[in-house]
Amino acid sequence: MTIVLAVLVLFPLAAVIVQVLLPGIFFGSLNFGEIGLLLELFERPLWRKSLENSLLLGLGTAVLGTLLGTVLAMARMQWKFPGARWLDAAVWVLFIMPSFILAQGWIMFSTGNGLAASVFGWHWVTAAVFQPAGLIVIMTLSKFPLAYLSVKAAMEWKVEMLSDAARLCGASPFKVWRTVQAPLLLPAILSGMALVFMDTIGDFGLPSAVAAVYRFPTLPYSIYSAIYTSPIRFDMAGVLSLYLVALIAVAMLLQFWVLRRSRYDILSGRAVPSVPKPAGRRMTWALAIGNALFLLVVIGIPIGSSIVTSLLKIQTNGLTASNLTLENYASLLSEGSSLLPGLGRSLLIAGSAAVIGLIVGLGASFVLSYSRFRFKRGIETASLISFAVPGVVLGIGYIFVWNQPWLENLGIRLYGKPGILVLAAIAGAIPVITRVMTGAMAKVPESLLDAAQLQGGSLISRIRYILAPLVRGALISAGLAAFGACVFDLAVNSILFPPNFETLPVAIDDAFEDLRFGYASAATVAGGGIVVGIMMILERLLRRKEASA
Amino acid sequence: MKLWKTKSAATLGLLLLTFTTACGSGASQPTAQASTDAAATPAATTSTETKATADAKPAAGEEITVYLNDFDAVIGDMFEKKTGYKLNVVVGNGAEIMSRVEAEKGNPQWDVLWIDSMPSVYGLDQKGQLLQDWTPENAGNLKESFEAQVPDDKSYYPTGAHAAGVLVYNTNELSEADAPKSWEDLTKDTYKDLIGTADPAIAAPAYPFVSWFFENKGMEGGQDYFGTMMKNGMRVYPKNPQVAQALTAGEVDVAMLQETNAYSLVNAGEPIEIIWPEEGAPGSVRVAAIQKDTKHAAVAKEFVNFLLDPEVQQQLINEGDESYFEPSAEGVETKEDREQDAKLNIADAAWASEHEAEIKQWFADQAIQ
Repeated sequence: MTIVLAVLVLFPLAAVIVQVLLPGIFFGSLNFGEIGLLLELFERPLWRKSLENSLLLGLGTAVLGTLLGTVLAMARMQWKFPGARWLDAAVWVLFIMPSFILAQGWIMFSTGNGLAASVFGWHWVTAAVFQPAGLIVIMTLSKFPLAYLSVKAAMEWKVEMLSDAARLCGASPFKVWRTVQAPLLLPAILSGMALVFMDTIGDFGLPSAVAAVYRFPTLPYSIYSAIYTSPIRFDMAGVLSLYLVALIAVAMLLQFWVLRRSRYDILSGRAVPSVPKPAGRRMTWALAIGNALFLLVVIGIPIGSSIVTSLLKIQTNGLTASNLTLENYASLLSEGSSLLPGLGRSLLIAGSAAVIGLIVGLGASFVLSYSRFRFKRGIETASLISFAVPGVVLGIGYIFVWNQPWLENLGIRLYGKPGILVLAAIAGAIPVITRVMTGAMAKVPESLLDAAQLQGGSLISRIRYILAPLVRGALISAGLAAFGACVFDLAVNSILFPPNFETLPVAIDDAFEDLRFGYASAATVAGGGIVVGIMMILERLLRRKEASA
Repeated sequence: MKLWKTKSAATLGLLLLTFTTACGSGASQPTAQASTDAAATPAATTSTETKATADAKPAAGEEITVYLNDFDAVIGDMFEKKTGYKLNVVVGNGAEIMSRVEAEKGNPQWDVLWIDSMPSVYGLDQKGQLLQDWTPENAGNLKESFEAQVPDDKSYYPTGAHAAGVLVYNTNELSEADAPKSWEDLTKDTYKDLIGTADPAIAAPAYPFVSWFFENKGMEGGQDYFGTMMKNGMRVYPKNPQVAQALTAGEVDVAMLQETNAYSLVNAGEPIEIIWPEEGAPGSVRVAAIQKDTKHAAVAKEFVNFLLDPEVQQQLINEGDESYFEPSAEGVETKEDREQDAKLNIADAAWASEHEAEIKQWFADQAIQ
């Protein structure tokens, strides 16, 4: 498991970082780079500012996004209300959409004569959105799904007697929540928080697009500017990526420190699957309306704008009846369109990546949760790296590693073959899977597994009959999340796709670069719709099986 | 309980062992690589000689891999129809393609690079990555202005040029009289907070655009010019598509936009007017170059020669996706709606290549002003 992890995530990144110190090592020459580059962070104002901005954005979004995601997940698992399924769907949509698409939606809504000002007359929106605090809010509304998924997965089983005991002792429902339920979810909440933090500091598309008005360079911005120059500065990109990795390590250390003494493995024979309860008439209504309003904002604005764009003949003329067309959707299906073959390839890659990633991720999480392995914290941190380091950097690392001439003789020079995309997709899937899984496994006590072992259960059967059923919800969430995220992962795809092998995100980006906004939006909406549809069907099928078992 | 601990500790120890050995072999690979490569260098020269003899007749059904940033939809079919050779196409924006080329340096996978970043291709040649001293048959058709762009070592050939940036404005917001007429007009207070541009530190076509100003005005003059506009609230978007979107969304009224982008907005019916300033627009030259160690030199040469064919250039203008450009061959008609006396100013490739890092870094550093 460790080896797979190392090959997938560590080698490519290590390759990028190694060539900081030894440029040319991958091209057959050995010379030493400037170590001074490592310290340049403190000398180049842009780099220092990038680090500050990334930290500010990452921390702000992590705190707010986790708060939002946790509260939503708890409300969703606690009470029944109409539209709850839509919340799940919305979370998936936000999770899989490339961030630059979400950014476009927010910009079109909030710009000087965007929908907010021209239709609703909210002129304050422009000033509120286009400033750093506004950016954090938009990031929060785009990244909270990671926290939501993590917490929701961990709430699948609960031990009622702990809450009941507290209630019998006279605690109010809120007090029970605050002192019993919420603290027990701490591992899952922190897992979610770590994911939000990493996804935020690694994001290039959203901050760079939204911050055009006031300039807000982040670490990914500086990384891109180092790569997109000639002569290309892979060494600078490597140094800056190293700082991203360091930030992740610090975040993980904090998490371990918080969780260092307490135990959270509360599941026992008395655990029952959580079923949302009826909340009473008034409460149900309040939840349904609140949910609908919330969805209107987090989905309506970014995705709604994409839908509007996909339906317009002339972008400047805006939303009027005479300016509407379905032409863009028709051209998706026309001959010569690269959408359908691209979608097929992307689904295939994402599907294989999700399945393999799930196996590797489950194994890794198992080791991380139940072994006494000394360096497991290191492995855990390493498994997250591919999440925060921009895909372009990882992609370059993959080329360094998988384009070595001697691999050709072994028949495994994967660069230039579709396999490299699957490999990269697995690397992208592992952080999500391990985070969601460890969050859920933290609740399963080792004694349950030990008991099974005493009865003679093998490792495989212990995982299969004890662990897997208990973390089934998390397994499904993790697998689906990995699948969905892979389909739209543009950055890695754009630098690694083999000749004549265009994938969905590459095709969409190509249309976007050619300014075919209507077509690009239609492709995004249609592609996204199909993917979310597949995910919802899979989720339903897999969960129903559980109910009947 | 104890058993499972010792057992798991043992397996994990084993895992750790494999992990470290895996790491160890990972570190030792490149050095091994270095030594085989050093041994292979003398052999490489002999192999180019054998290639030269193989030039005469390429095997039928041979394929070449072309890295390009435009015309991906049409060029493969065109070439195959005309010559029978198959083209494997990798498309991406200029920066992605150059990143690939650079990362593949040890084992290049491309045979021909056809891209509109002449300074970057010039840089590749300086590092000895391009096939030199070869003159295609069709080079005789080159217009004089394009002949001047062919480097002395004949490592690449221009297939056309387009404006890296023209002035565009939203006609719903600005009248013709209020619209800017020259590049200098953009520094006026009238356009405070109204101008949008792509970030030269990120967007590939933006560098040929700004480099001409820096060459023309000198480094300080260029910094003054763009610095004034930035102080005046110019919005800097990551790439050209975002600039175009800002323009159609009414976020900015005036923009500097790559030529084909500008014309495709007009053709899509957007209320956009294009202005070609009298002093000319900064131009970007698309060039084709062959990889030095290509195994398919004959087909690669055929392809470059094919690109210089007037008929082919005419077909690209008639059918291609980046069809607004000035062809490099004599006797080819530009698009009818393209400005007929469009003047392009092209920064010297050597100068632009030499100052690329410096200028791009300056723009990146402006992000914190």
